[in-house]
Amino acid sequence: MVIADPIEEGLASGWKHIDASQLSQSQTLEADVVIIGSGAGGGVAAEILTDAGLRVIIIEGGPLKSSRSFNMEERRAYPDLYHQAAAMKTKDKAIGIFQGRAVGGSTTVNWTTSIRTPKNALDYWAKDKSVEGLSREELDPWFEKMEQRLNITEWPFAPNRNNEALKNGCEKLNWDFTVIKRNVKGCWNTGYCGMGCPVNAKQSMLVTTIPAALEKGATLVSRAKVVKLEHHKEKIFAAKAIALDENLKPTSVELTFKAKHYIIAAGAIHTPTLLMRSGVTDPNQILGKRTFLHPTLLSGAIFSDPINAHSGAPQSIYSDEFVWRDGAAGQLGYKLEVPPVHPVLIGSKTLGYGKSHAELMANFNQLQVTIALVRDGYHEQSQGGQVHLTDKGFTLDYPLTEAFWNAARRAFSSMAELQFAAGAKQVLPISEGMPYLNSWAEAKTKIATMALAPLKTVVASAHVMGGCPMGEDLKISMVDSHGQSHYYENMSVMDGSIFPTSLGANPQLSIYGMTARNATRLAERLSAAKG
Amino acid sequence: MKRRTFLTSAFVGTAALALGVSIYSPEFISANRSQDSQHRLLFSVLLPVFLDGALPDVENLRRAAENRTLDAIGQTIAILPEEGRVELEQLLDMLEQRLGLLILTGSVTPLMMRSPQELVSMLEYWRSSFLDLMVTAYQGLRELVIASYYSCPEHWSRLNYEKPTFLGQEV
Repeated sequence: MVIADPIEEGLASGWKHIDASQLSQSQTLEADVVIIGSGAGGGVAAEILTDAGLRVIIIEGGPLKSSRSFNMEERRAYPDLYHQAAAMKTKDKAIGIFQGRAVGGSTTVNWTTSIRTPKNALDYWAKDKSVEGLSREELDPWFEKMEQRLNITEWPFAPNRNNEALKNGCEKLNWDFTVIKRNVKGCWNTGYCGMGCPVNAKQSMLVTTIPAALEKGATLVSRAKVVKLEHHKEKIFAAKAIALDENLKPTSVELTFKAKHYIIAAGAIHTPTLLMRSGVTDPNQILGKRTFLHPTLLSGAIFSDPINAHSGAPQSIYSDEFVWRDGAAGQLGYKLEVPPVHPVLIGSKTLGYGKSHAELMANFNQLQVTIALVRDGYHEQSQGGQVHLTDKGFTLDYPLTEAFWNAARRAFSSMAELQFAAGAKQVLPISEGMPYLNSWAEAKTKIATMALAPLKTVVASAHVMGGCPMGEDLKISMVDSHGQSHYYENMSVMDGSIFPTSLGANPQLSIYGMTARNATRLAERLSAAKG
Repeated sequence: MKRRTFLTSAFVGTAALALGVSIYSPEFISANRSQDSQHRLLFSVLLPVFLDGALPDVENLRRAAENRTLDAIGQTIAILPEEGRVELEQLLDMLEQRLGLLILTGSVTPLMMRSPQELVSMLEYWRSSFLDLMVTAYQGLRELVIASYYSCPEHWSRLNYEKPTFLGQEV
């Protein structure tokens, strides 16, 4: 069956797209607004600013890929669509990080879960992080706007069996659970969102806001890595980029972008990295610090009946039973969700090798996996990680503290209890030394004393946040509550790096809503100035 | 010549011997023995250990799967970011040298001369080491081999898994 490819059609219709890998000469491009990054923040900003009649250039380090090349194979998706081919890790290699790197950013590869910013997070930011004007009442209209724009609605179909187990377990234990809202239109329920939607049902930036901006004359430059912002006094006057080749390796071709306003939307880790490398004003040494990951634990469970966790909407149920139980600043809470199970993902994120690993893989279709995303950035012992510059790029030093391991133990226990309640035959906490557990009673005892440590316990992350926080207090923030730089009049940050803590929820809708609010205000300001 | 430079040169010269290439190498591994930049011979020793129980039982199918995995490993290494690739190459180079072997495994016996059980002991020694360096060496190799193996659709039959076919002909 042939699926229409809106990107190919758009390019054929004359969209302005420059694939920097094809350039042989350096050049300079100018616009009203240059947006660095094309993910949830960059994409939304691009559409709003273009709609306002401004000339916009969107710069993306990754390639422009589209549904025609999304073949539902991890071996293609990871190198094409993820930072470091989905093998990015923290400095000590204890946490694996999944972050998108292609036009559409992480929205091209996320699992479509759309959650409004939890009130607890917003209240904490207002009280402790000097954030103003971001109550749920003030934000809800923006969430509604973006929910309409991206067709974000509650998943109306039955959850797949992986999610159903989560739901069943919650029902048996009388735990809270929610049916997830997803940004999809005409979803085929195949389960390959993480490899790029092959049927363009996912309403990612790749098929919504960016095409809309390009239709109205914006320019997209892909495979161009912005390496430095040139600045003088309180103004940015250029963004310098290098063209990457088809393998995303640097070339000698340089690109210079000049604009009235610069929006940094390269995502957490990369936005602070760019700002640090550019030597921007940061008197309180805030940049790159307090980078949050929702560090995530995994628990496998073997069921008698097929689970087929590779098939169907990857996430349709979550449980907030344990996220805010002890208050925002109390002991670390965790959100329960499930991931899709695909061969490379599960093969590499489980433990061991040889016969024991082969046996686990042979149970591929019987394997249910539950994940616990730990809410970081609130507790005094949860200050997140720090981005450091290196000769070639960056490292993220993220210490896993006692407070985290305390949450991990509780999370493994909750996941095992849930999985047994849902009917699991055996449960396998993904941490070195843990055997298959045969009952909740056994699990309770063994998990209470299990060894937990970096590199022994598998910890992963798909939500990178913080490192360039917003707020009104200059001692703890780089940008104001609208994402406007405290130090540069023509620079804003519009991505997840502005979150002062993690969210305790999947971040895409928070970025969409806040960016819609902030970009609309910026568009008004720039349009007024343009006259 | 600085002593360290001398040592490095001397041990690079013994790389082939450390791996046991001159003594034994399997016929079916497609590798250019003089220019094994992808470390195929090294991985050909490790694959049967990492993938014991996963590889097909039938000899010719197993060989084909091993060669496909070696190709996939080469492709994976090629797309690693530079810092990660340099780190991995250092590890692989050490495993191809006697001094490196001694440091990492406590023995200069070439990997190809070790029994499967000895190779398992080596991996378990790294896996449970109190030194993060050893643990990350184990995890790096493990992830590379297992991810590369399961990246090939030909290796999914034991999982009773295949991707949907509604898209028909692929690009």
